[in-house]
Amino acid sequence: MTILRHNSLFALCPKLVLYRHHPLFVFVSLSLFLPFVLSGAQPATSTTIYFYSPETNINNFSSLKAEFDIYLSQFGAYRFQPFSERLTFETFIAKSDRAVFLLSTWHYQNLKRRLSMEPVLVGVSRNQSTQRRVLSVQKSFTDIGFLKGIKIASSGSAEFTTTILKHMLHDRDSAVIASMKIFSVPKDIDALLAVGFGMSTAAFTTQNSLEKFENINPKQFNTLRQIAVSSETLFPIVARQMDSADQVQDILDIMEKMGDDPEGEKRLKMLGLDSLKKLSNDELEMLNK
Amino acid sequence: MTRNRYNLEVSIDRVRGYACGLLIALAPLLTMPVYGEGGTVLILSSDTTVEKYLTAQTSFKKATTASTYEIDLGKKWADDSRVARSIITKDPDVIYCIGSKAYLLAHKVAKDKNIVLSSAINWQRFPLGKNTFGVANELPSEMQLTMFRYFFPKINTIGVLYSKKYNKEWMDLAVHDGKEVDIEVTGRSIKHPKDVEDDLLLLLSEVDAIWLTSDPVVLANKNTIETIFQLADKHNKPVFAYDPAFAGYGATMMLSADIPTIGRQAAGLAEEIIGVRPAGGRFQSPAGSEIIVNLKKIDEYGIELNRDALDSVNSIID
Repeated sequence: MTILRHNSLFALCPKLVLYRHHPLFVFVSLSLFLPFVLSGAQPATSTTIYFYSPETNINNFSSLKAEFDIYLSQFGAYRFQPFSERLTFETFIAKSDRAVFLLSTWHYQNLKRRLSMEPVLVGVSRNQSTQRRVLSVQKSFTDIGFLKGIKIASSGSAEFTTTILKHMLHDRDSAVIASMKIFSVPKDIDALLAVGFGMSTAAFTTQNSLEKFENINPKQFNTLRQIAVSSETLFPIVARQMDSADQVQDILDIMEKMGDDPEGEKRLKMLGLDSLKKLSNDELEMLNK
Repeated sequence: MTRNRYNLEVSIDRVRGYACGLLIALAPLLTMPVYGEGGTVLILSSDTTVEKYLTAQTSFKKATTASTYEIDLGKKWADDSRVARSIITKDPDVIYCIGSKAYLLAHKVAKDKNIVLSSAINWQRFPLGKNTFGVANELPSEMQLTMFRYFFPKINTIGVLYSKKYNKEWMDLAVHDGKEVDIEVTGRSIKHPKDVEDDLLLLLSEVDAIWLTSDPVVLANKNTIETIFQLADKHNKPVFAYDPAFAGYGATMMLSADIPTIGRQAAGLAEEIIGVRPAGGRFQSPAGSEIIVNLKKIDEYGIELNRDALDSVNSIID
């Protein structure tokens, strides 16, 4: 197949024949065609879980991929592919039929008008499928007016954090919200510690993380004041393309059972989840609001 | 004539009206705090072939709104005089120094400039100018102890080997910080690397885990490091280390500062300096952590791991 491509190239530009043994030509040719050759080497029937989350600043992609791939390989040709870039992830959603997508509900709600996806499963942590986000500030801050220009540590993307903050603060003072500076940190616990150590004035985290923090370091917890709480949102969901039900049912079954298996649960814990379950009607309604 | 004059007045009034409207529309923008838009930052790297320096640099450039230009001291041409000439010619608002070599050079040739330092071990040992700011390379002991408590709820005593000459103050603080998270931190001071084995044996009989810190007497050479890990392993005690480099020795947990976050912090400091002087301290602690856990060792030693904490792990060894 590679040879045919080369011949076509020479047909288009006969002068290239003169340079066909030049190292630079060989390098450029390999760079251009290797991805096609490699992608052709994948099993034709492999099914992939594509993952992206703006809610957490997950930067352990290689570990996540390795752990999920090892776990999934026992069931067949299944792969896990995390993404750090939102646009790349969205491109894959649009063109992948043999795949399922693990994504945040906020992201799904942004995408559902553009892409025909069907949500199937939802994450569960501590027997709950929903979570809240909390804005915690240094105790000396007593009023939203003090928040102008402050630095907020968050493990979510700036876009996600700002959108949720607008809802949490009910757009009370758009100038205050616009003046806030989102400071990206790797995890919720970093955001909470950043306030205690003065690198940030506020922390935007999940309520679960805040409760854990209270148990781990009560002194630091007591330096914080919770100034706003979000409404409930669902944990990340698993969705599939509308017309791909038959092709991906097997991977959805595997994912649904992951929480029952200690090895599967370990992988889900890396995403902050205990298990995945089918979305109930109430949860679907919540998701499609 | 009168009609023309009337038309002209109407036009002028309209222009005035538009101008007022524009001013009102722009008013929120004019009153917004300035976060360093504009301004120039010289990024002075000790050596861009060092991955952690390059990571900090990339993260800084991604986060800053200031315009930047770079000098890599790893390149042969970048000697003192050329760097000094470049600073005088381009007159940057801030010099962001990555690594100790870059900082020492900037301090030597431009110590009155605004300098932001990161990625240098133990910043307290450097001469500091009045306009020097920075991000420390080490996580504060309380942050580390909080993470130990988070990951290992059943670990109650942690032992540290240290030398009084280099780490007495750090040790006193760690003992104090341990109380905040219900961990008893026990230290044994040593004067010479040959004392490591005997003192470690005593410590191992008293504690649940060993906490390795960057002490030049304790970690004097490869042999003492190997001794520490071998003895701890023999006693089924985990070693918590401060750098991913200890993975090969069998560290159970490695906790270090997250370098991209350090780059972002440095960018924030530089912008605050360009806009207004930073209100806080001159040096910040790192705000992000990188965590590696060795699940194989955790199983081997039979330590209880808080599995909920796995969402905070960067890498797993198993």
